[in-house]
Amino acid sequence: MPLRNTDTRWGDIAQTFHWLIAALIVVQGVIGLTMVELGMTPTKVRVFALHKSIGLTVLALALLRLAWRLTQRAPREVPMPRWQLAAARLSHFLLYVLILALPFSGWLFNSAANSPLEWFGVVHVPSLTRGFDPVLKAFALRTHVVLFWVLVAVVAIHVFAALWHHLHQRDDVLLRMLPLKKKSRAVQRQGAMP
Amino acid sequence: MKSKVTRIGALLLLLWASAASARDWKVDAAHSTLTFTGTYQGEKFEGRFKRFDARIAYDPANLAQSKFDVDIDIASVDTANTERDQALPGKPFFDTAQFPRAHFVTTRFRKAADGRVFADGTLSLRGVSKPVTLAVTFAQAGNGGTLDVQTTLKRLDFGIGSGDWADTSMIGNAVMVRGHLLLQP
Repeated sequence: MPLRNTDTRWGDIAQTFHWLIAALIVVQGVIGLTMVELGMTPTKVRVFALHKSIGLTVLALALLRLAWRLTQRAPREVPMPRWQLAAARLSHFLLYVLILALPFSGWLFNSAANSPLEWFGVVHVPSLTRGFDPVLKAFALRTHVVLFWVLVAVVAIHVFAALWHHLHQRDDVLLRMLPLKKKSRAVQRQGAMP
Repeated sequence: MKSKVTRIGALLLLLWASAASARDWKVDAAHSTLTFTGTYQGEKFEGRFKRFDARIAYDPANLAQSKFDVDIDIASVDTANTERDQALPGKPFFDTAQFPRAHFVTTRFRKAADGRVFADGTLSLRGVSKPVTLAVTFAQAGNGGTLDVQTTLKRLDFGIGSGDWADTSMIGNAVMVRGHLLLQP
């Protein structure tokens, strides 16, 4: 399969970005919701540090992904009703905004909280603020939490739409984001035609 | 005649007094700080004790009679990080419920060959008393002055961050402590 996008499929690079970030979002969600319930122990500190490191990774991947997306031609859109296309475009746009804004709000929160930030304990990541800022800290935390639940909602729509297209519409929307050798359903149907 | 005797007497008294005790200073609390630098998750952080009471008798020309006696309100610790500041007074760290105050008192002053002054003393912190040496820098300014002291402590010597928190890769053992006092006559 090609690295770049083709007219009908997402390329390897776009697919890697998609599934890697998807997996990290799930991991981050689970860690994030769990870690806030922990008592004040060194374990909590380590889990928070892990959440921050993965979040920074998502931010870096999201920037690279956005750059790749903007310099590549996307596959031709699968034929579907106008409102579905509009909804798909809007949710994809929102997902890009969220995978950038969510880690950024976490970074801002951490900075305003005056907490350490070491990417996997290896690379120091600078603060976005001049030390402790309680007002900004509260704002960034609220934003982080709200954005997370917005992300949950948009991802739910995104996953539902992908499955609905695959199982109900029986089109290529999901297949062309999967690393399968299988021929597209459109081609198969065309081939089956007399 | 009588006044002359009185005056000589007063002079002698003054000489005796200055020989017997170094100069007592008033500490301008609003312009004096007691700060420390620790390491947390591989990064340095600054903290301070907002309330402390320092009784300073110091005269560089009379080290033998100089004395520092400092009382620190440990619960006044502030490291500009809400979560850390909530954790620090707790039992694993300063345990301020049981040990609300720390105390440092000098036992003697020394002048090194290079002229630097050191104050040996005893620090009582979290129920542990240990000898601690401060490097002392004094600068006279008008009839006041500034006094800067510095030392490096090991937090584990005093049981600060014991048990699960003893891991020095998360919280460094060495903590540099600095005092900056503005002295008034």
